[in-house]
Amino acid sequence: MKGIAISYAVTAALLVAGPWLLGEGGLRFATECLLILAMAQMWNLLAGYAGLVSFGHQVFVGIGAYGLFLISDTLDLSPYWVLPIAPLACAVVASVIALPLFRLREAYFSIAMWVFSEIVAALVTKAAWLGGSAGLPLRSSRLLDLDWFEPVLFWIAGGLALGTIGGLFLLMRSGFGLGLMSVRDNDLAAMSVGVDVQRNRFIVFVLSAAGCGLAGAVSFLGNLYVSPAAAFDVNWVVYMMFIVMIGGIGTLEGPIIGTVIFFGLRELITDQLGYSAGWYLVALGTVAVIVMLWSPRGLWPPLRDRFGLKLLGVGRTAPTAPDVPPLAGKVGQLG
Amino acid sequence: MVDVLRVAGLCKSFGVIRVADDLDFKLALGECLGVIGPNGAGKSSVLNLIVGLIRADAGSISLDGRDITHVPAHRRARLGIGRAFQIPQPFPHLTAYENVLVAATYGGGLHGSAAADWAMDVLGRTSLAVKADRIAGALPLIDRKSLEFAKALASKPRLILLDEIAAGLTEPEVERLIEIIAGVKADHAMIWIEHIPHALRAVADRILVLNFGRKVLEGPPGEVMDSRTVKEIYMGLTADDAA
Repeated sequence: MKGIAISYAVTAALLVAGPWLLGEGGLRFATECLLILAMAQMWNLLAGYAGLVSFGHQVFVGIGAYGLFLISDTLDLSPYWVLPIAPLACAVVASVIALPLFRLREAYFSIAMWVFSEIVAALVTKAAWLGGSAGLPLRSSRLLDLDWFEPVLFWIAGGLALGTIGGLFLLMRSGFGLGLMSVRDNDLAAMSVGVDVQRNRFIVFVLSAAGCGLAGAVSFLGNLYVSPAAAFDVNWVVYMMFIVMIGGIGTLEGPIIGTVIFFGLRELITDQLGYSAGWYLVALGTVAVIVMLWSPRGLWPPLRDRFGLKLLGVGRTAPTAPDVPPLAGKVGQLG
Repeated sequence: MVDVLRVAGLCKSFGVIRVADDLDFKLALGECLGVIGPNGAGKSSVLNLIVGLIRADAGSISLDGRDITHVPAHRRARLGIGRAFQIPQPFPHLTAYENVLVAATYGGGLHGSAAADWAMDVLGRTSLAVKADRIAGALPLIDRKSLEFAKALASKPRLILLDEIAAGLTEPEVERLIEIIAGVKADHAMIWIEHIPHALRAVADRILVLNFGRKVLEGPPGEVMDSRTVKEIYMGLTADDAA
């Protein structure tokens, strides 16, 4: 626990110092990594802990981004102040669509999420007041101090990534988190000992949507421009899924490892080796297949078990046993 | 005194298959009802109806005088129904202690150190205390069966439902389990589905025989086990007589 707190503080300090440590390109790259990490954690929360595999999380990226652009431009407010609108809008949308979606299980839920995302994307593309297929520029960007724009974005992204990890860590150590992990492991058994599985799923779905929406909004704020093709791009959820699957689903460490591999591969193949983005996708797919065959639950669980690693251990150790004699082994008590 | 469990006119069909056909029975505190019957007689389905995993077509179920026929499963668990599944259903990535803690927290409504102490208490009673920090998925069968019972007990139930909890165990293991079960009997009402006659004789006060979802017989263990009806159902004596 102490070790975790110290490394958390060191990471936070590094993030604060980031803009002075990294060059301009490095800073933008780090911002992207941190945002994708936050999104992956949110997807992992839903898939890994509530058993709901969403193929449509890009819809929350899009709604977050459009929500930010629309409100910021309409009210002529600094986008920084409007940022909290993005997760709020996504939370509202998620709580409404949860009603019909939660009647579907497994693959049906996954596909329905995707279909919902496509519907929203199609509607946005048709909506002239949202810029149609051309999209929207962020007019309120004139309210921003562009000298500090990249560092501030980096800090927001860092705060978001660190916040989701810290938040999830605390959540998993709470009573609610214990319930979540029980549902992850066995929903039938969880229900049978009194865990309200549907309520858990609902809360997690809303949280996951809100987090993704915020990360999406920050991401498009960095572009100062949003278009439906980019915002509702299915690749968003593919990245989240890839990162969580290879890193370790249902663990807090997995998405961190996954993000490192994801961006490491991209830099290696497109930057260092100079291959096209197409080859990068081929490499991603190959890595995913190999990892799935070797360890279906991702890289972290076997690493953790083999080397006895504990990074963000959310397990509870049993208190020392009180002196209760076992019921079995007391022959003669039955008669 | 109000019965802990009262089942009246309970009916459930899946298509043409009847798993519960106008079932009536009741259970008081400290009482253990053994349930036997051939495969497919509807034994597990009756438990599923009581815990709320499947909905009854007709009839009513009440717990401590309160009608729970339409109460969802997780609420029934909180109201006081603990169930040990036929095939153990642990939370495989959590430790034995955490498994029991889930039940103590949610089903038992306990928090903080009260939940922790109660969880350890239950692990102690079920001889699992030394394995508290072991991952549940890696425990051997006897421990997973005990853990199944421990989870049911930790939710502070009024009614405990045991589904073939002794099946697949060695004889000494069955003895150990009988002792554990007998040890908590006085404070609970219990339904125990089992195919092992001596296990039921040791603990059950009454035995109910199910066949095609119908109650065929109900009475003291010795009487029921030796009855002609049970022999007919299990050994097919009627067919022999007719030949």
